[in-house]
Amino acid sequence: MGIVELQNVRKVYPLGKVQVEAVKGVSFCIEKGDFISIAGPSGSGKTTILNMVGLVDQPTEGEVFLDGKPTSGLKDAELTRLRHETLGFIFQSFNLIPVLNVWENIEFPLLLGKTRVGKDEKKEWIDHLIEEVGLSEWRKHKPNELSGGQRQRVAIARALVTRPQIVLADEPTANLDSATGEQILELMKKINRELETTFIFSTHDARIVDIADHIIRLRDGLVTENRRRDEPAAEACAAGAAGVGVRGARAGA
Amino acid sequence: MNTIANIALRNLSRQKKRTILLGSAIAFGVMIVTLINGFAGAFSANVAENFSDLMAGHIFISGTEKGPDDKDVSVIRDDRALTSAVAASGAPIRYVTRRSAFSGTLIFEGKKLRTNVDGADLEKETFLRDRLLLKAGSWDAMAEGNALILSEKIARKLNVDVGDNLLVQLQTATGQNNVGEFRLAGISFDTGIFGQMMSYANLAYVNELLGLAPGEYQTMGIMLDGLKHTESAAAGIYDKLSGSVQLFERGAKGSDGAETPFQALIRQQKKESWEGVRYRLFTINEVLSQIKQIVAALDTTAAVILVVLFVIIMVGIANTFSMVMFERIGEIGTMRALGVQRGGVRSMFLFEALFLALGGAVAGIALALVAMGVISLFDFGMDSPAFLIMRNGHLSFFLPPLRAVGNVAIIAVLTLIAVASPAGKAARLTPAEALRTQK
Repeated sequence: MGIVELQNVRKVYPLGKVQVEAVKGVSFCIEKGDFISIAGPSGSGKTTILNMVGLVDQPTEGEVFLDGKPTSGLKDAELTRLRHETLGFIFQSFNLIPVLNVWENIEFPLLLGKTRVGKDEKKEWIDHLIEEVGLSEWRKHKPNELSGGQRQRVAIARALVTRPQIVLADEPTANLDSATGEQILELMKKINRELETTFIFSTHDARIVDIADHIIRLRDGLVTENRRRDEPAAEACAAGAAGVGVRGARAGA
Repeated sequence: MNTIANIALRNLSRQKKRTILLGSAIAFGVMIVTLINGFAGAFSANVAENFSDLMAGHIFISGTEKGPDDKDVSVIRDDRALTSAVAASGAPIRYVTRRSAFSGTLIFEGKKLRTNVDGADLEKETFLRDRLLLKAGSWDAMAEGNALILSEKIARKLNVDVGDNLLVQLQTATGQNNVGEFRLAGISFDTGIFGQMMSYANLAYVNELLGLAPGEYQTMGIMLDGLKHTESAAAGIYDKLSGSVQLFERGAKGSDGAETPFQALIRQQKKESWEGVRYRLFTINEVLSQIKQIVAALDTTAAVILVVLFVIIMVGIANTFSMVMFERIGEIGTMRALGVQRGGVRSMFLFEALFLALGGAVAGIALALVAMGVISLFDFGMDSPAFLIMRNGHLSFFLPPLRAVGNVAIIAVLTLIAVASPAGKAARLTPAEALRTQK
């Protein structure tokens, strides 16, 4: 059983009077601790899939399993709680909270939800993350006083602060220059190795595809390639939550 | 919730110009309303205190006996029982006055004018000299028995000057026609409508004109340490009097409810019959019961202004927060993705509005207090036409703390109502929608 599994997922958006099918029946399975790249051109459905995996959006049809549990039918409050406890997010535009400084932005997710972390433990952990992302001297700075690369580092630390099982990164290097993008990727790979956090990227950055353990390629809302690195096709998940083992490839609508 | 409130507070500093403009609008509205409330709060007390000064008392006892043809004669012949009851009541008394008065026609060189003339013991009522500023003549001239002080307006209408002799036509206490002569000793500054009506003469001469014996008078005025003691002191004096003299009932109300206590007392006096002198006790509050209606009207005006101003401000706040919601749509999406519940997003907007309202309201009250302080520094003089609503020539204000708190609460509630809709819209956004819509 993978940590994330999609079964015949479709997503249809209303666009004015027209219904746009952004994802046309996608199935795949993601293993815990992997560094996964969901690649494809613009409009291929990468972000939509990432949103559904991240529980910020719901499939029109099909099912998303998170750690073996189906997520359809959950109420908004339960989805929010699950996001907070299980997932971390890194956005293309960094999406930091402008009125909070570096330390406070990273702390923010820890202040949500019902679980409270001890003051000392929290401080130690945030300080460690700040050090890991190389922003020790910038902890009191507001986002508008940081460069793009620094902001993305803050976003990475924020995504990791709740020790999530999965971090979802939507085009994390798109707004960065190549050198900074490379540093950010190295950092995420390091964290992936050290903390065994599963990273799922949506990207069309070839560098991410090159270092990914598992590559899923999309085109026009369909999976065109699903394979582990150096393997022709992805391993099937162990028995799926719904009792269905899904082998990579595509499951068309 | 602390985190959300903290972010809401900090959000106010993001668009400083906008926050300052909205806060200023709220502050201005609150300042205006607070000033009106403060003025209304002091208005009633000021008018009552000034009337008390002019009428020389907070509590009054007048005597009435049945004269020939069952006609009411206003007189206090022997005040020993009154004096001891007043002393025994333990009321905080500043001084006691004894006055007689009539409404008569003054005549000078063919000009006639009807006015009230108060006869006072000017040797004892030294405070009257402080209250009544003379424009012409002097208080020393009042030593002459038939001396008279007129207000500027009356003197002008009669075209009299200090030193002139005037005739007066009046009715004695028993209703006989009588004529007398005054010599104008002074002309006082006009001090509002009431001041214009008042003329002062020596008690002994007024008694003579009214046909009262020396030592007799019509009304005892009891001036207390302050207006606030009036009703309790009146109740105490009435209680002490009730065992020793005949008294009219206090607090009688008209059958249709429209009659003031004072009017009810007069009706009672006309209707009933008795032997000897019967006393009535009334207070400045009963005389000025209509002042309460003016205060109520002022308060209503303030409330209407509050509502009108804040409906306008609320529309501005609602529009601004709708705009703010769209500006921060990406942030809402991020927060929702990170684990902020819908209620958290709603609370963030409501907190922001609440802080804005509270900040504006507190600033408005502070500004109003400063304005009150500055305005009250101006000395309009004792001769101001607005004398009656002022205290010692200064406009004064009294803002009941509960009224201020109430205004702040109203503003807070109205602001929350104004922001409820945009806050609700922000909370209902799905995280994906919000993240997609972000700029």
